[in-house]
Amino acid sequence: MAEIRREIRLYLKLRRAALRGAMQYRGNILMMVLAGAAYQGSGFAFVWALLHTFGTVAGWGLGQIAFLYGMRLLSHALWLVTLDGVMQVDYAIREGHLDRMLLRPVNVLSQLATTTRSLLPFGDLSMAIVVFGVAVSVADLDWSPGSVAFLVLAVIGGAMIEGSVAVTIAGFSVRVLDTWAYRLMMFDAMDTLGSYPLSIFGSGMQRTLTYVLPVAFVAFLPASVILGRTGQLAVPAWLGYATPVVGATLFTVAYRFWRRQLRGYQGVGH
Amino acid sequence: MSLITVRELTKEYVRTKPVQGRFGTVRTLFTREKERTLAVDRIDFTIDEGEIVGYLGPNGAGKSTTIKLLTGVLWPTGGTVEVAGPDGPVVPWRDRRRLAHRIGVVFGQRSQLWWDLPLIESFDLVAALYDVPADRYRSNLARLRKLLDLEPFLRTPVRQLSLGQRMRGDLAAALLYDPPVLYLDEPTVGLDVLAKETVRGFVDESNRSGRTTVLLTTHDLADVERLCRRILLIDHGRVLYDGPVDGLVARYAPYQEVLVRLDGEQPDGGRLDLGGFIGEREHDGRWRFRVGRDEPVHRLLAAAGDGRQIRELAVVESNLESVVRELYRERRNT
Repeated sequence: MAEIRREIRLYLKLRRAALRGAMQYRGNILMMVLAGAAYQGSGFAFVWALLHTFGTVAGWGLGQIAFLYGMRLLSHALWLVTLDGVMQVDYAIREGHLDRMLLRPVNVLSQLATTTRSLLPFGDLSMAIVVFGVAVSVADLDWSPGSVAFLVLAVIGGAMIEGSVAVTIAGFSVRVLDTWAYRLMMFDAMDTLGSYPLSIFGSGMQRTLTYVLPVAFVAFLPASVILGRTGQLAVPAWLGYATPVVGATLFTVAYRFWRRQLRGYQGVGH
Repeated sequence: MSLITVRELTKEYVRTKPVQGRFGTVRTLFTREKERTLAVDRIDFTIDEGEIVGYLGPNGAGKSTTIKLLTGVLWPTGGTVEVAGPDGPVVPWRDRRRLAHRIGVVFGQRSQLWWDLPLIESFDLVAALYDVPADRYRSNLARLRKLLDLEPFLRTPVRQLSLGQRMRGDLAAALLYDPPVLYLDEPTVGLDVLAKETVRGFVDESNRSGRTTVLLTTHDLADVERLCRRILLIDHGRVLYDGPVDGLVARYAPYQEVLVRLDGEQPDGGRLDLGGFIGEREHDGRWRFRVGRDEPVHRLLAAAGDGRQIRELAVVESNLESVVRELYRERRNT
């Protein structure tokens, strides 16, 4: 327990240092946050325009879609804010930074997660808060302590699912180095599929996105639970509650995989 | 009792062999053929507490791989390394965390400092990562600040430091938590004469007063002559020589070179026999003779002076540099 507290303390210290580093470039700060917000905002603007024309999508009204979109964006921003540096593992290996991380008496993934100069995640986060805030006021929901607690756990679970993909790809990077193409593909798939009601697809596709590529767990299934729309699902309704468990499990598996790969690290050059 | 024990240490890199020729890139994806490179081949040595050992070898000899094995970055293919300590020996790659507190590592080519932050913040972070108690951090930092003259740039972002300043910062960061062992991988590469001297002086001082044991790789033999009493020379992943510096010179260069310029008519051809000594013509017209350390030089001189005038004479003592140059050259020819 003391060991975990120490790791968390050092993680926060390193993350703050990375932020202070990024703050050195004043002109860049605002631009990056704005860019992050604009990128995510434009995605939502598209949905808004779509709904303005058609009213509902697969039975989901604007408020409900905004809620789903906001929930997914919260998860997305949460994993980016905490684990962003993991995406830069190729660079860390190429430049020999990973060698240095292996020398230090601190968790390697935690060091990797905090080597980032990007402020884009904070743009994502601010846009997520705005969209979600709007959605909650529009979607007309009955909140109970139970549903709020579930929402929090589901957002964390969703973040862990997306994070587990990043950690798995980082594990592959240790062995084969060039993985940016897979990373692009995976995150594009999650961006595209994670933010909309998957009931627009047939039941086969819904099952695939639940059991094979578990995108549905990130936001669609838990949002269906909170919005009381589980009747429409092509998969058992109770799965909607499983997001926190699925997230924790996938992340644990991904972390183990990463550790195994790290053992086979060959370094760059001789 | 030795501090670092290396036994039969071996590292073989296995990589997929690229296929040449038509559609080579695509075929490489499917080939099962592997390329094996034996970077470190059954190396044995021990290092005692308080030593400074120069680890030498030409590019690609296996120096960096050895350092990565000693520091636990890589898992070896075979053999073992043990680093002794108060709470028992540590095998680097098996227990990186325990090892971390026992070793400081400086790579001349890449910094461990936080690029965007003032130097002092890197020290704060290193102290936190290594759990250095506040009072020890204060006293260590005070000592290092003075020894390395860090004061003028302590609050400058690392990216704005000169290479020499950055290296001083890196040395301080590596010793902030009092590791008993210091690995230096080309610590003077790219530095000017004064900066090199600062680095050498600091390493010497840390070894003398702090009892820090040092393993140093370098291509600048002045580093070795200034700091090391012992050399480990490796090539093709094998230890070629392990012993004192003068021993290397005596073993690989048991001769001195005599350069002679003759007056007047020069003998024909590229070789010249003088009193049993064979000289080779240099490109500047001088003749180069090798005379064993116990052979009488005067015989050569008498023969050279016989009927001719010696216009110029130079005796070149073999030193570490000439020996190493010779050894590396032999390697290229094999």
